[in-house]
Amino acid sequence: MNESYDVIVVGSGACGGWASMELAQAGMKVLMLEAGSHISAAEQFHHQCLYDLEFRGRGRPGFLRRYTGTERNYRIMLDTAENPYTTSTDTSYRWSRSRCLGGRTLHWARAADRMGDYEFKAASRDGYGMDWAISYADIKPYYDRVESFIGVSGEVLGLPQFPDGPFLPPMPLNCAETIFTAACGAIGWKSTHRRLAQLTQVHHGRPACHYCGNCVNGCDVGAMFSTISSTLPPALKTGNLTVRTDSVAARVRMNGENRAQGVTYIERYSMKPVDIDARFVVLAASTIENTRLLMLSEKGGLANSSGLLGYYLIDQIAGGGVSGILPRLKGGPARLDDGKSAGITIPNFQNIDKATARKDFIRGYVINATGGQTEYPEYAATLPGYGSEWKKEVKARYVAQARVWIAGGEMLARKENFVELDPEVKDHWGIPVVKIHFTHGDNDRKLMADFQQRAEELFRKAGGEVMPEMRRGGPAGFPGGPGSPDETTATHRMALGGAIHEVGTARMSSNAKDGVLNSFCQTHDISNLYVFGGNAFPSTGDKHPTVTMMALAARGCDHIKENAKGRLS
Amino acid sequence: MESVSVTRRNFTEICWGAMALPGFAEWLKGEPRDYQPKFFDAGDFEALQSFTEILIPTDDTPGAREARCAQFIDFLLDASSEDARLQASWRKTLSTLRDLGYHAGDVSARARLVQTLAQEKHPAFNTIKQLNAFAFYTSRAGQIEALDYRGLSYNATFPACTHPEHRKI
Repeated sequence: MNESYDVIVVGSGACGGWASMELAQAGMKVLMLEAGSHISAAEQFHHQCLYDLEFRGRGRPGFLRRYTGTERNYRIMLDTAENPYTTSTDTSYRWSRSRCLGGRTLHWARAADRMGDYEFKAASRDGYGMDWAISYADIKPYYDRVESFIGVSGEVLGLPQFPDGPFLPPMPLNCAETIFTAACGAIGWKSTHRRLAQLTQVHHGRPACHYCGNCVNGCDVGAMFSTISSTLPPALKTGNLTVRTDSVAARVRMNGENRAQGVTYIERYSMKPVDIDARFVVLAASTIENTRLLMLSEKGGLANSSGLLGYYLIDQIAGGGVSGILPRLKGGPARLDDGKSAGITIPNFQNIDKATARKDFIRGYVINATGGQTEYPEYAATLPGYGSEWKKEVKARYVAQARVWIAGGEMLARKENFVELDPEVKDHWGIPVVKIHFTHGDNDRKLMADFQQRAEELFRKAGGEVMPEMRRGGPAGFPGGPGSPDETTATHRMALGGAIHEVGTARMSSNAKDGVLNSFCQTHDISNLYVFGGNAFPSTGDKHPTVTMMALAARGCDHIKENAKGRLS
Repeated sequence: MESVSVTRRNFTEICWGAMALPGFAEWLKGEPRDYQPKFFDAGDFEALQSFTEILIPTDDTPGAREARCAQFIDFLLDASSEDARLQASWRKTLSTLRDLGYHAGDVSARARLVQTLAQEKHPAFNTIKQLNAFAFYTSRAGQIEALDYRGLSYNATFPACTHPEHRKI
């Protein structure tokens, strides 16, 4: 007889952590399976200056090729040699993943912006794609629940396309951000502090941020939301949660009555397969990984009566923007400018209604801007000159750095972007990997071009001096350079997938014909199988997706609790 | 497929074990001129060290000498055995300098040659400048003493902008 639980949760990221906490607190016996290693903030997260690192962040030459990280944080990323994937010949999609306890919550950008009916009902407004099977009113209580627990610092703005939440005080603006705010006002755009799952005061026993700026390398005190700082401790406290790391989920097993029987996982090091049974199975292993597991579980894909499993892969448009300096800050005193890794946010102001409708593209984007000193002056290597005068110029510009970038641009969902199982390539455990088909469309390119113009307009209005060669991060392999997690905020055009906001591939729908999941992230076909993450998104919207994924997971957890009591048909 | 078994213990060994490499601890602790180059021969290393100190001189703040930029470049290139192209390009760079008379030149001749190479945007100049800048501004001397970087510290509050003039365009 197999080991048995009430619920198996596959994955320990934002949604897996949330589901484990909520269901364990509801008295259910929960098993969390994590493919990667155990992580302890106290043991593994420390402030390390570049000069503390033997290779100054680059890692031993050649060593980091197999990791999607830097010398500081590759431990919380993923070994690409163990976990390959393939792409079609027409794309260079880069799938950034983590395999460790906490997943991508350990190094995420912390942006916690709600979506609204402006996004959920976009198809009704402009006729493209499919509306979500929920409205803002359906999900608002769950946004409130999630944000109240994880702690989001921000400012109430009162814009329907940028819904407010129960915010902690916002993080203060530095000088460059204050200037950009004034520039937005002069243009006529509303702007606000970036809304971040990063504490500005003690919250549920977690300390406030100490403004070190080390977030993407793992927060040593748990002031930024992560599974290991926030959801895991109370889940473990219930005594109802078992965490099993180094356990690679291989498939969902079915019984003969169209219900999930449990999960088969492979012990990471012994390679031994293990069968576990449960009343409910929750896949929360990240968007593409969840879909891969459904595809691995049954020929043609489990829960795929719609035939849409794997289709409509979407990722937000990212990259581009403007970098340079704000001359009025040049030569000023050194300041702690990058200690909060934040900035200002300019919510989308186009295609909201008839008055703001564009003729050349649909949907919208959110802009971010920040500035000031950074850890490494990447412009130094290409700044003309040398000698003492060059040194003085490097320092004078150091505190005046500034950049504008696209926080998230809505990419349209298209069926030709999809994932499938690669018929030939397998991972370290002999499990078939995914093959990704992904390209941008015409609307995506027009939206990006419009953003670029607006970014330059904002930069000019702030009095900025553009430095085309300057971007956050250094050359490939450097912190912030191509291939590093920091690249999500780099101001150059990045690889497809660089936003790391991949969603779709098992979209929600009000009927089983048009999607894989219902509005509770329960599969239409199998009543005890749920999929938490970005899979349910029929569209990306222009907000960072994590807090929406968590709110959907919270809503799904309520559904599981009711389902467990037999109150649902 | 290659069998890979990376444990947390292995990670630690890979990362921190490298700290015990001969040469690394030595140049951290020793006098700059005591360093025994591993990648370059003595003549090329002396030329590189001199070049880096012209590019980033010691003035009212530390320069390439105090940051030991040449030592870091030598250390990095020596560790780059998997990147034959990178190593070859640096051999060529120093060979070019030698052919141009840099190694044999006195202080003023070397300064004139650096100026000429800078004006020409010569590949040898650019190669050294780029890695030298990285070596300098990722060192403690460059990042903390020259630039006064404030991050990676514990702070009770974030220093908000308090300048009324920044609220106007």
